[in-house]
Amino acid sequence: MLNIDCPWCGKRHETEFRYGGEAHIARPEDPAMLDDTDWAAFLFMRKNTKGYFAERWLHSHGCRRWFNVIRHTVTHEIVGAYKMGEKPPKLPKPAGGAK
Amino acid sequence: MAKNSPWITPAAAIARDFPAGLTELSPRAQVNLRGILDESSFMTAVKTATGIDLPITPNKVATGKDHKALWLSPDEWLLIGEGEADALVHRLENALTGQHVAINDVSANRTIFELSGPHGHHVLMKSSEFDFHPRVFAPGDCVQTLIAKSQAIVEQVGEDAFHIYVRSSFSRYVGAWLAEALAEYGAPA
Ligand SMILES: [Zn+2]
Repeated sequence: MLNIDCPWCGKRHETEFRYGGEAHIARPEDPAMLDDTDWAAFLFMRKNTKGYFAERWLHSHGCRRWFNVIRHTVTHEIVGAYKMGEKPPKLPKPAGGAK
Repeated sequence: MAKNSPWITPAAAIARDFPAGLTELSPRAQVNLRGILDESSFMTAVKTATGIDLPITPNKVATGKDHKALWLSPDEWLLIGEGEADALVHRLENALTGQHVAINDVSANRTIFELSGPHGHHVLMKSSEFDFHPRVFAPGDCVQTLIAKSQAIVEQVGEDAFHIYVRSSFSRYVGAWLAEALAEYGAPA
């Protein structure tokens, strides 16, 4: 089980959170100008990263804030959590083993 | 009908048989307050209305003369006092007129269990994944977490006493859970 560092509440157990998928996907400024392909790309297309991944989490049973987490999708190592609008923490250099 | 004729929660059906150390408290005034922390006029007005400096440190409780405030999120607090919520709601509304706030009487939302005695934190530790060990959770702390998989607010009100705020509709289940969790420790000596 993961221990996730809520930027407000600190380390809490995974069961208090909800997963929100890939982070930093900007909504198009003017959706009406997009064709179906570009709109579908925004709505549905996500990276399938093997390695460090920026993703959104919601502290649904705690303070009910959305925030971002950098997590390794293979090892589950969590590098850091940061509030919406903040810069992501520096990624560690991939060590031997997990990349 | 008297407005505050005590609400009967589902837990009332089993509360009579609770072991020593567990009780369901009579209803309290509970007001949910939301506002913008960065606006000093907000903090000042709340202080005027309640005498409380709202806690800005997450998961802390600030206590005033008649009320206390539990931190719930960066822009949200739960104010608690004795009796009915009307007077508190009106005082807040008057003090905060024109500000971007939300003031809601949520007294009927959650019932409050009091867990007391030397095994209170043991009961919580086996009911939750949150760490209720005294080295991390102490009087003046509150936490929103899961108790027996139900959403709850837990506040430590004394060295050996906790208040557990549970949605009324979950109260019979959580009450029964707490009663059973406490039972193994037997009656306090
Ligand atoms: Zn949180």
